[in-house]
Amino acid sequence: MKTKLVYSLTFAFLCVVSIAVNLPVITMLLNSFKTNSEIMTSSRMFPRHWTTENYVFVNEKSAFWQQFSNSLIVTGLTVALTVLIGALAGYAISRFRTALTGTFSVVLLLLQMFPFVLVMLPLFMTFRSLHLINTLTGIIIIQTSICLPVAVLMFKGFFDTIPKEIEEAAWMDGCNRWTTFTRIVMRVSGPGIAAVSIFTILLSWNDYIIANIFIKKESLMTLPIGLQMFMQQNATQWGGLTAAATLSALPVLVFLLFVQKYIAYGAVSGSVKG
Amino acid sequence: MHKEQGAWQAQLRFFAPAIVFISLVSLYPFFSGIVYSLKDGSLLDSGSFVGLSNFAELLRMREFWYAFYFSIGFTLFSVLGSYAAGLFLAVLLNMNIPGRGVFRVALLVPWVVSSVVSMVGWRTMIGDQTGIVNTFVQAFGFEPILFLGSEKWAVFSVILVKIWRSFPFMMVSLLAALQAIGKDLYEAAAIDGAGKWRSFVSITLPQLKTVTLVSWILMSIWSFNDFDVLWLLTGGGPLDATQNLIIMSYKYAFVKSSTGIGSALGIVSLIVLMALALILMRVQRKGE
Repeated sequence: MKTKLVYSLTFAFLCVVSIAVNLPVITMLLNSFKTNSEIMTSSRMFPRHWTTENYVFVNEKSAFWQQFSNSLIVTGLTVALTVLIGALAGYAISRFRTALTGTFSVVLLLLQMFPFVLVMLPLFMTFRSLHLINTLTGIIIIQTSICLPVAVLMFKGFFDTIPKEIEEAAWMDGCNRWTTFTRIVMRVSGPGIAAVSIFTILLSWNDYIIANIFIKKESLMTLPIGLQMFMQQNATQWGGLTAAATLSALPVLVFLLFVQKYIAYGAVSGSVKG
Repeated sequence: MHKEQGAWQAQLRFFAPAIVFISLVSLYPFFSGIVYSLKDGSLLDSGSFVGLSNFAELLRMREFWYAFYFSIGFTLFSVLGSYAAGLFLAVLLNMNIPGRGVFRVALLVPWVVSSVVSMVGWRTMIGDQTGIVNTFVQAFGFEPILFLGSEKWAVFSVILVKIWRSFPFMMVSLLAALQAIGKDLYEAAAIDGAGKWRSFVSITLPQLKTVTLVSWILMSIWSFNDFDVLWLLTGGGPLDATQNLIIMSYKYAFVKSSTGIGSALGIVSLIVLMALALILMRVQRKGE
């Protein structure tokens, strides 16, 4: 009887906390269905008159879809590059124990401590002389390198759990390190690839600081800086802003529903084993 | 000998792409950042060497010391706050509650939405007097609070929002560690007459030690290096009240175009962070 009470109380408490924690997102969502004048004047939580005019505004009058596709391109290529390069290096650290791999893993750990500003300024200067400012290529390169240290360590942790016997059997059949890696190891690395992809997708899709420094042209902006631009240009368009913000968060929230099991794996393998 | 060489070549084939990327985008800029901090340059002109005078100037600035203490305080409260909230929720989610999968997803939202989106959300809530929080405040008969406009409340607000954004990471990491603890440990303790609280303190907490340490180190680094929350919520204001070393560095480098001071601030941040990580690791070693 007593445990039942404890469980009901916990259930109720978790309901309250879940809603409270999501209040910023919920208010944003609700505000996106209000008219601008209602947002400015009323303090009611729910809209008095539900309207879709903000979404129509975003759809017709802003660069939202352009920025949406920019974000898709940047995230897609960053994930592909990070998984490819990260898996190679992670495998090497996991399987070859030498001075090179040792140094490399120490450097990876130290890299996580780097304050980004220290690196961004020289990078800005270099990219300016290479004409990589205001290009999607530029931010794809930077985002990939920012994701790599964690991705490599996550892959290393994952490959450590794959028994070496599988590979030794493949060597017997005449495979070398390289073909073993591409034909055997990567085939069984689905969960590892998923965890690294999730981490990279979230970081890349949500990135604000890199795009903020390296993209100034509106047609090349990704969603986060596009939103901020929208905020500065249309100071009174709170409705449009919340609608655009809701639309840009939607893919992430849907994504979360599908991958939430792997997030636990990623967070833990990325932290504990790293 | 031949075999050794083959091994090196095979290794390089795996490492080369990662080394190229990391050297170009992290290591090379890092070393040239050190050079920048010793020069008096701007965004347009690389300037000439001035030795350590950028650092000397920093130490004389009141703005620097405020940002320094704010960075430390912000990091400390964010880590402790998000750890406490994350641990509490992880323990609850580890119970056999109906619908806990749903709760887990709902509680992860603050962590997965982008910083810009969440700041739009927070600004609609606490940004002005008609926001939902101030509606509550006024319903209880108080004056509306300027959460982002007054210095004290802004400090409080940015820490709260940072905890809000960070606790899901702590929760997920701790939950996974909790689920890895064997049931037999608790059963043995129960046979020895240990109560719920006693077994939490004597079994659960020690088992969480590794995760705790690693998550503290990571969260310290992330909080200390925070740019998004502070920049998007308050821009470091009002009157620099919520300006940490990173925001200050960004302002000097990219807004005031004083690359020497900006880079020097970056290096000071790195030194403080390494000291912080060392202290945490020392604490861990003493505990063993």
